[in-house]
Amino acid sequence: MRLFAGQRAWVLQRASALVLLVLLALAAAVLLVGPPVSYARWHALATSSHGAVLIVVFFGAMCLHGWIGARDIVLDYVHAPALRLALLTLLAVLLSAILVRVVLTIAAQLPGAA
Amino acid sequence: MRISIYRFNPETGAKPRMQDYELAPEAGDRKLLDVLMRLKTVDDSLSFRRSCREGVCGSDAMNINGRNGLACLTSLAGLREPVVLRPLPGFPVIRDLVVDMTQFFAHYHSIKPYLINDALPPERERLQSPEQREKLNGLYECILCACCSAFCPSFWWNPDKFIGPAGLLQAYRFIADSRDTATAERLAFLDDVYRLYRCRTIMNCTEVCPKGLSPSHAIERIRLALLRQSS
Repeated sequence: MRLFAGQRAWVLQRASALVLLVLLALAAAVLLVGPPVSYARWHALATSSHGAVLIVVFFGAMCLHGWIGARDIVLDYVHAPALRLALLTLLAVLLSAILVRVVLTIAAQLPGAA
Repeated sequence: MRISIYRFNPETGAKPRMQDYELAPEAGDRKLLDVLMRLKTVDDSLSFRRSCREGVCGSDAMNINGRNGLACLTSLAGLREPVVLRPLPGFPVIRDLVVDMTQFFAHYHSIKPYLINDALPPERERLQSPEQREKLNGLYECILCACCSAFCPSFWWNPDKFIGPAGLLQAYRFIADSRDTATAERLAFLDDVYRLYRCRTIMNCTEVCPKGLSPSHAIERIRLALLRQSS
């Protein structure tokens, strides 16, 4: 349980927030500079090698940040062990599902995917 | 002067209630504690702690008009009426304004609030440079009144596991002390999801400290010390 507890969780929460901030600023810059936003442009950005990696990194950081933040809320407010375990499990499954879905969606769109 | 005070007597089994008093302060009355002591002569069933009456012992901490403070340091001038007095929030009430501080002091003792140095003591004393001594300013002055911990939502949520701002301020007082050699052990003890990291930097502790100290700053320094130690 030391993996995301104590100081490590505190550092990871701030590091992931920084990653989210930088990537959001980057996305805003890409959208504001260059041709108007269209599906074709979005698709091209998301399926470029850099774009795909950055999207996966973004959602990875979001899930990590969300896990630590929501876990803190559960630790603060939910004191019944069974309910706490159920909520944390639900949260872990939800965030993992989001991440898996993102990776699969991006992988399916990459050039060369069947 | 109108005062509304939380009353609870476990011996009667009655539910807690607010009791209203009306009392005219006399010429020498300057602080809220003066009025409370005068009130005690009128109603001797009213219970509250007090000792030094000058902000040193910290025993008359209570919730005054929704804000924790020391009755002996709270001036009557400017107090909104009726003055609503309640026991420190989040603490078990023993009677009226008297709360059970057992858990608060258990947390305080858990951080080993004493110098640890196994080296052979020098002939006279362990000296500090003025710079080293300067680091203890803003830390050693804590009187353990519990105003900060009792105003901290994180402490309300996990009073049995979170050390709380007062205990963490004291913990940093010994981490920052150049004469203490147990810094690594102290930091290892605090590196815990509950003991230190329940602090959500709400900063009520700093806002309410009657001695003007900043427990939230001390907590931040502990986090940075942990970061430095691990890097």
